[in-house]
Amino acid sequence: MDFKKLPPVQEQIMKCVRCGKCRSVCPVFAEIRNETAAPRGHVFMVQMLRDGKVDPDQDVYDHLANCLLCETCSVNCPSGIDIHELNAAARSYVYDHHPTVAKELIFDALWTKPSLLRTSSKFLWGAQKSGLQSLARNLGLMKILPGDLPKAEGILSSVPLRPGRSLVKEVNAPRGKKRFRVGYFLGCGTDLFQPQVAKAVVEVLTRNGCEVIVPRDTRCCGMPHLANGKMDTARKLLAHNVKIFNDYDFDYIITDCGSCSSALSRKNIKFVLGGLKIEDQALAFADKVIDLTVFLVDILDIKLPDNPNAEKRRVTYHDPCHLANAQGIKSQPRQLLQRIPGVQLVEMAEANRCCGGSGTYSITHYDLSMKILDHKMDNAMATGAEYLATCCPSCMMQLQYGVKRHKWDCRVVHPIELVYEYYQSLPEIIPVN
Amino acid sequence: MDEAQIKKDLVDMLGKDKVLIKDLDLMYYSYDSSFFTKLEPKNPMAVVLPKSTEDVQKVMRYAYDNQINIIPRGAGTGETGGCIAVSGGIVLDLSSWDDIVEIDAANMQVIVRPGIIHAKLNEKLAEYNLFFPPDPGSSQMCTIGGMVANNASGLRAVKYGCTEQYVLGLEVVLPNGDVIITGGMKSKAIKNVSGLNLTKLMVGSEGVLGIITRIRLRCWPKPKARGIAMAVFDNLDDAPATVLEVYREGVLPSGIEILDSSAIQAVNQFKPEINLPDAEAILLFEVDGNPPGVEYEGNIIKEVAGRRARQVEWATDPKRMAQLWEGRSVTAAAAARVRPDGSRVFAGEDISVPLSKVADALRAIRALGEKHGVQVVNYGHIGDGNVHTAPVINPENPEEVERVKQLVDDIHLLAIEMEGSTTGEHGVGVVRRPYAEKEHGLAVKYMKGIKQVFDPRGIMNPDKLF
Repeated sequence: MDFKKLPPVQEQIMKCVRCGKCRSVCPVFAEIRNETAAPRGHVFMVQMLRDGKVDPDQDVYDHLANCLLCETCSVNCPSGIDIHELNAAARSYVYDHHPTVAKELIFDALWTKPSLLRTSSKFLWGAQKSGLQSLARNLGLMKILPGDLPKAEGILSSVPLRPGRSLVKEVNAPRGKKRFRVGYFLGCGTDLFQPQVAKAVVEVLTRNGCEVIVPRDTRCCGMPHLANGKMDTARKLLAHNVKIFNDYDFDYIITDCGSCSSALSRKNIKFVLGGLKIEDQALAFADKVIDLTVFLVDILDIKLPDNPNAEKRRVTYHDPCHLANAQGIKSQPRQLLQRIPGVQLVEMAEANRCCGGSGTYSITHYDLSMKILDHKMDNAMATGAEYLATCCPSCMMQLQYGVKRHKWDCRVVHPIELVYEYYQSLPEIIPVN
Repeated sequence: MDEAQIKKDLVDMLGKDKVLIKDLDLMYYSYDSSFFTKLEPKNPMAVVLPKSTEDVQKVMRYAYDNQINIIPRGAGTGETGGCIAVSGGIVLDLSSWDDIVEIDAANMQVIVRPGIIHAKLNEKLAEYNLFFPPDPGSSQMCTIGGMVANNASGLRAVKYGCTEQYVLGLEVVLPNGDVIITGGMKSKAIKNVSGLNLTKLMVGSEGVLGIITRIRLRCWPKPKARGIAMAVFDNLDDAPATVLEVYREGVLPSGIEILDSSAIQAVNQFKPEINLPDAEAILLFEVDGNPPGVEYEGNIIKEVAGRRARQVEWATDPKRMAQLWEGRSVTAAAAARVRPDGSRVFAGEDISVPLSKVADALRAIRALGEKHGVQVVNYGHIGDGNVHTAPVINPENPEEVERVKQLVDDIHLLAIEMEGSTTGEHGVGVVRRPYAEKEHGLAVKYMKGIKQVFDPRGIMNPDKLF
């Protein structure tokens, strides 16, 4: 699709009055501290691209890509501009003029094929366990990897052997009376890096009367592709997922990942698939997509049996940007945590400030990402929590790295893990209906 | 002098972390929030990010010796093109030099570097139960340096006045590299009438005399209570008449804001749930102070406004106050979104007129909007006669751009004709420079003479003010 004809490019650039509100909220700007990092500057640069005042070259790409796509600017923009959409569209436009072999390999050949992706992560696990990784590092082979990946390998250092998909069945019957038939959109982050979350999701949902289907041919939601200038690939992935899920008759489509639910949302579908033949089908699909915590709290109204002997846990919660900014979901994850007997929720300062992970940003911009992470960790550690909960596997990875980096004795969890563990701690499990 | 050489010299002088020289980086410094730079962005030849008075001195001496323009810049939230290198030069981006040097609570003052953000300063001062009262709408993003350079004010100017009333002293680096301290070299006094008042001269000088590198500000005790009154009028003239009567009753609210029918419509269109009453004007009064005083003054406002208003409400409950104030707080955003295929532009947005002529000015601006076929949204600080007009156009349509330029010219001329000013608080910059002679007459000659003393080579922020 022609970049210049995309609705945000056509309709929104002119609305920017450069008031600078975005400067005051942007976590990247807070570190760089000059106008080249201001979100309004990105809008300006997109305009320059649109008007042919700058060439779509690598330098422009690098400026645009120095943004987390955390949407903090968009949600605070008095003129209502979707700055992140403009930025993503422009990245794609520039990238198309200068494709790179590494990105084609990672985002087209690998990240579009779940089985290959899983094989690669197994290889990574094997490399870590066998010492191959340190050998490669010593030989300088890591240096050929894109972005700051060689520096950022620590973030990927705890790849589990078994992906989430191997821990859950395709069809999972409800325990007790069936209430809903749900599709579980098992995203790449949970599948590859937080498989225990997938298991907890299926266990908790089935225990609460849901038949849970995990479609085997689910592919990436496309968010990493959007962030890396691969909008066409994101489009194909979304279209594929729409077809797969629409073949079932689901009451709801659940995700445990803020980025996935944001990518599969009406808003993003309008942005990525707007004007295409599949748009209506995709919107019907999007209307069924729901964040796991919203489903548990608002739809299922989950009630956990009381247990006076429940383990006391001090938990703090980090708002994933794609959940809080992109979708305005802040209260349900907290409500879910507060429904777990024994949990004491302690708010951290700036809970909705980005952790700096943002999918691949921590790999492409390691140093900056660490500064943003350190800010987050300072706020989190000040709570004295024993658990740092969040609803996004990418945030979890970044925060797990942060916990290690700051030598903090704290476990990073998805709230669903604590729900599942609570069920397990009960003397006898009774189906809840 | 060769630009490449200048860039190299700057990097050699300050190090590469404090200098931007790449063409692409420089483009980001071609704009501020003015409509002018939307139409005519201009890149500087370099950007310097100073972190000390010495850094500024080095750049100034170099620029002075080599006759290079110097343009100071804060957060770039201005609406006049004041921080733009219109005819080339080096931009000094002071926004990242944001230390609070000292909070001297015992002497009710604070010393800061120019880049500190207004809201962040007040956050810090709140810990000492103090505040810096001027309250611009851009509090979250504008710098104190920018506020001083433009003598900014905002919502609470009615009671607390403008920035100038709080500046006790400044450190200024002059074009030849000299550093002067105004308000007394060692002074920490609050009152000081010794010498010519160079502090007042520097405040609002928009960077044409020197670079402000340190600011000593007076702070005030933070009020303990607040209340909001909303009054709804069917007759526009009743709004300024009510303001005047409130003053006559001996009440000085901290803020008095007006939304005229164009703003009311814009707010309701943008957020129907706010559901402002359909009226010719809505006034919002803010009163602050100690709880009994706030209650007392609130009751007077309620009684006085009730004489003319169709509806009056007074609230001290925080939730209800926020609801009453919501219409005002979303007005700027509403103006930006009122037309789906357009946007507000910052031009002709800041005239100020005598209080007795506010209603006439609002009517005249609406008529001018109709004459030029441009939708306008009017709101502002009626308590001091400062009207903010938001023309709403498609800024990418050349024909609409031409029409808005004519409208803006008419609005500025209207202000002068009504015994007002082309700008109440946003400043002159590039965009209101053409009106200087009309507004100030012979005084402009003496303004230029003063500039000549400080800036004999004319390198300080040229093309601005007069």
